[in-house]
Amino acid sequence: MDSHRRTWDWDSSQCRAQMDQVFFREQDYIQAGSPDHKEFWAFFDRFQRFKTKKDMSGVAKEDRGDGTDRKKAKVDLGLPKEYDARYRINVSVCSRDIEERLGKSEHRGRQRSSGPGPQEISDCRLALLHFLDFTQRQSFGKLAKLRREQKNLPIFQYRDRIVELVRTHPVVVVAGDTGCGKSTQVPQYLLSAGFSYISCTQPRRIACISLAKRVSFESLNQYGSKVGYQIRFETSRTTSTKLLFLTEGLLLRQIQQDKTLSQYQVVIVDEVHERHLHCDFLLGVLRSLLAERQDLRLILMSATINIKLFSDYFGSAPVLQVPGRLFPIQVVYQPIPPDEQPSRSEKLDPRPYLRILQGIDQRYPPEERGDLLLFLSGMTEISTIQEACQVYATHTRRWIVLPLHSTLSIAQQDKVFDIAPPGVRKCIISTNIAETSVTIDGVRFVVDSGKVKEMSFDPKAKMQRLQEFWISRASSEQRKGRAGRTGPGVCYRLYAESDYDAFAPYPVPEIHRVALDSLILQMKSMCLGDPLSFIFIDPPPASSIQTAVTYLKEQGALDSRGELTSIGSLLAQLPVDVVIGKMLVLGSLFHLVEPVLTVAAALSVQSPFLRSTQHNPDCTTARQPLHSNQGDPFTLLNTFNAWVEVKGERGGGSRKWCRRRGLEEQRLYEMVNLRRQFKDLLRSHSLLESEGGSSAPSAGDRGQRRERLTERRRLHQMKRDHELQEGGKRKVLRLEEGGDGGLSSGSDTEDKSRGRKDKDRQNMDIQEVKFKLRHNVSQLQEAVTVSQDLSSRQQALLKLLLCRGLYPQLALPDEHNSTRKDSEQVFHTKNKQGVVIHPTSVFASDPEVLHVPEDDGGEMGSDKRDSSRHQLLAFVTLLETNKPYLSNCVRVPALQALLLVANSMDTNADCTRLVVDGWLELELRDPSEALRVLSTALKLRAEWERLLLAQLGQSGAAEPAAAEQAVSRRATEKLSEGLVRFLLYTEVSYSLRRLTALQTQNLYVGPQAESESSSSETPDLSVLFPGAQAKPDPIKGGLRVTSFFTYNCLMDSKDLYSECLRTFWSCPNCDLYMPLTPLERMHHEASCRPAGEQQESQDGAESEKASSSSSSSMSSLTRVYHCDVCNEDLKLTSTEILKHKRQHMYTAK
Amino acid sequence: MDQTTTEIPPKIFTCQLCGLSSPFVYYGQKPPNTRAIVLLEECFVTKDPFSPEKEKFLVLGSTCSLCSLCVCVASDCSLFYTKRFCMRCVNKHLDQFPHQIQAELAKKKQQSSKAAVS
Repeated sequence: MDSHRRTWDWDSSQCRAQMDQVFFREQDYIQAGSPDHKEFWAFFDRFQRFKTKKDMSGVAKEDRGDGTDRKKAKVDLGLPKEYDARYRINVSVCSRDIEERLGKSEHRGRQRSSGPGPQEISDCRLALLHFLDFTQRQSFGKLAKLRREQKNLPIFQYRDRIVELVRTHPVVVVAGDTGCGKSTQVPQYLLSAGFSYISCTQPRRIACISLAKRVSFESLNQYGSKVGYQIRFETSRTTSTKLLFLTEGLLLRQIQQDKTLSQYQVVIVDEVHERHLHCDFLLGVLRSLLAERQDLRLILMSATINIKLFSDYFGSAPVLQVPGRLFPIQVVYQPIPPDEQPSRSEKLDPRPYLRILQGIDQRYPPEERGDLLLFLSGMTEISTIQEACQVYATHTRRWIVLPLHSTLSIAQQDKVFDIAPPGVRKCIISTNIAETSVTIDGVRFVVDSGKVKEMSFDPKAKMQRLQEFWISRASSEQRKGRAGRTGPGVCYRLYAESDYDAFAPYPVPEIHRVALDSLILQMKSMCLGDPLSFIFIDPPPASSIQTAVTYLKEQGALDSRGELTSIGSLLAQLPVDVVIGKMLVLGSLFHLVEPVLTVAAALSVQSPFLRSTQHNPDCTTARQPLHSNQGDPFTLLNTFNAWVEVKGERGGGSRKWCRRRGLEEQRLYEMVNLRRQFKDLLRSHSLLESEGGSSAPSAGDRGQRRERLTERRRLHQMKRDHELQEGGKRKVLRLEEGGDGGLSSGSDTEDKSRGRKDKDRQNMDIQEVKFKLRHNVSQLQEAVTVSQDLSSRQQALLKLLLCRGLYPQLALPDEHNSTRKDSEQVFHTKNKQGVVIHPTSVFASDPEVLHVPEDDGGEMGSDKRDSSRHQLLAFVTLLETNKPYLSNCVRVPALQALLLVANSMDTNADCTRLVVDGWLELELRDPSEALRVLSTALKLRAEWERLLLAQLGQSGAAEPAAAEQAVSRRATEKLSEGLVRFLLYTEVSYSLRRLTALQTQNLYVGPQAESESSSSETPDLSVLFPGAQAKPDPIKGGLRVTSFFTYNCLMDSKDLYSECLRTFWSCPNCDLYMPLTPLERMHHEASCRPAGEQQESQDGAESEKASSSSSSSMSSLTRVYHCDVCNEDLKLTSTEILKHKRQHMYTAK
Repeated sequence: MDQTTTEIPPKIFTCQLCGLSSPFVYYGQKPPNTRAIVLLEECFVTKDPFSPEKEKFLVLGSTCSLCSLCVCVASDCSLFYTKRFCMRCVNKHLDQFPHQIQAELAKKKQQSSKAAVS
């Protein structure tokens, strides 16, 4: 025995390994190498130390041991006489191995002279039993704590009542204020009451994730998927998911796919009082769905705001009101004195805010913790007050000032959750983001400016407007409530009580403030009938619906009867603005998909360029190579491409790359995800060839595939590990950490702090892991290479696609811009004059590229300048803050772009004067050139339209293989060739100006008696645009040639009869040489193609039918032709005859 | 989510003293997949929800060896000393328990009454 003792050393790893062989084998409850195993040995060390300590001090106590059984009890419990802690453990471990080593040690002892003896085995077993008991206690403690917390929530006592109400009513309203626990508990109550297939919507994605996490933990399903979430790019849903948290928008999309929402038994709509557009709409859709789904259960959850509205909307649905859990809050009204009131143009006066900081410092000792949350209306206000407070904070060293708004980097936003060191308070200066979206614990003081900036839509100017308003009483209360979450608090209101009383009771719901384009489009695609008669909870103004319908018609998403077009039904499925959706569809036609996907994604997320780094010279220099003076979408494209390249080369190193350029990498991750979603959507509509052959790993390369699989498994493990770590402890802020936060570049601040850096590294890793899991980097790189070095031709075409997508969002540079300072460049849109370019745009720093070149000008001095280089800006947003700003602009050649995309083009008789969309006037000097340009444009448009329709038509087709042939590659190549040539090589001099109000009033000739006679002489134009017939325009006068082109309707100084004037002209393609009117010439040009091309023309049947039906309109070019097959006399032109013949050839086959 | 395959609602364990309730998957002395481990009493057992490993179990409670009351393992509700005793029975027969346990319980009582005061 003694020899054993000497050779056995608990600290030796060999000895422990021997013990592992006995207790922690592959087949045991705890296996060697597992985390539990590691914990056991750590526990073992503690346990041994404890035992040694006890052995030394415990002897004395043993003496009294026997004294207890003196008193005889009625019942003998049969407990052992001597106390042993081991008797308190209800677990035992026994295996044959252990028994053998314990019992028959003497036989085996010799063989295993160096192995563990019975004493060691027994010691280890005892430790293991204690360890098991310890882990049991630990887990049970967690469970008990959880149950205790659930019980303590105000909503707990309503548990049975809620379940009962839901069982007996189709719709139930649960109203409860912050902290009552409704969001986490109600879904669980229903789950444990036996409901399954529950969905719970949230207005914010982040809430979906955090709620799913919390609820799965609380329902003891942390490691299962019973509770899941689904947001735009991420889901944790599996077949076993019974409760799903998802965004309102996503549930709407699901209804689009599955009309009756049969996948759910219960739908919970949370936060209905926030009255988001999607939420209001969702309620309307669900309301009509209830009639069809008697079994569906709907629960609305709301703060105690305007509950009656919701109950009434659902036929007096029962309301269950739950008290919140809020500590008392003292309200102090401190209206700003008149001399400190800011005037409209001035900066905010910081004095009222500083007084409150001072007041807190005087009244409350620093050891009493509690932070301050200050609500201001916008970013400018925040930086003004932040600056002033920072000076005070630096002086007193009692405050850390932190800004909070949505354009901050994620890392900077996160800082508000960190903890201030003792004796120091956080002063968080926030927009209304902290009112509902972001909840910060530990706030004791709230300062409420009473102001909010809200987005509204001005349908007249087609412009979004960000204006400052007084908040509502509901918002005011919400802000106040933020002071009482963790203890009693104080709320300082910088307005009078009488102001408060005068506030509107509730905020204006979003549906009353915003453009309804996407909403109406979605309604149409869900077949909800006339949007005007849809029963909304709070119907938007009819004019607002009408504006949206008109807009959608302009965009080609709805036809003239208001029905969804094929492009419209596709757009309805894309979760983006109509204009962006259009770009995607257009891009798919021209094999420019890769760059278009990137641009569309980039324009749909917040700009990755951080505002705070705008004036940082290092960032500006580093960004320079990314800039493109073609326009902001190209800068974004370059940025994304460069980022993907860095990602491919350096992986996680991209974080640093972004930081140096003042880029928020999160946005780039969003872009890459969105891009992927767009690609999948296009593919599922057969607008994109599925990724076959080339990109798929070759079947033979098994090794590579296995490698990739192992890699994926590793990444998944990393993601899981990260998820386990998440929600760890908050960092402690340092005093210096505030101040420079929002003012200088985020990068400097973060580099300074080591702790921060570590956190970043962790963040970076998980983002990188998720990125790698979701995307194939090499595939992405390939895609990016395609769009990296665009030739000038591809660039021109891409610009045209963007322009057509963005149309009618066009702006005209003011004619005097070249004489103005860079900062005073002015632009005009159709509906709004005098707009400026947002300082973040590339054109703000480089406006010269928009000027008409000096040497190009013809008649200088006159306000009409002739040039072939006029340009327009196509823009994504027009937003008025203190000025109306254009953002995300791209420049396009004016004449060419307008002729190719405009919805309304009106000309005079010789087509030298052109009015586009009733506001832009173009004048060309040379009539024959004018005619040539116009005619080319019309031809290109017709072909473009034809191919686009074919492409969209095929998207409905089931088989992609067949579809691919519908639009031949050659046809699109020819078209893009034609478009590019038109865009780049049209050297026509013209003037471009905006019409004055007076001019627009007297623009058209109006219906004329003469037009009757002239039309009979006009050639039939239907060949030019199949399906359309030229007829007198009833309003404008002249001839309506196509839906977008009206000929000779402009009031002109020139002779009204010039349309009938014929001039000699020879056709370059055929031998024709004869006098023709402008229209006749266009007509001939449209139908006469070079001999080689004739075979390709495919539009025979339709146009021919149209032309034969309208044969009444005689032209000098048509002649009577007798077709033997039809046995009819037809009046056709020579080319039409050819076509007609060919048609019979096809049908004969 | 297939609606036809509705699962049988889980069996629920409820402590008759504190009311804590939670679903359990096994009752007995040999929970599944616990290998060499044996429980020394018949227990209500569930999968340990706080462990990522599927096979880790958690004992929720058992029945009092004297009065057969269903109790959870929380120290306020029951005590194991070679057998399970609910707190009521422990207090009734306190004198038969070793002094270590008596001292421990007295100390706890003192603490909880102190907590109640403050």
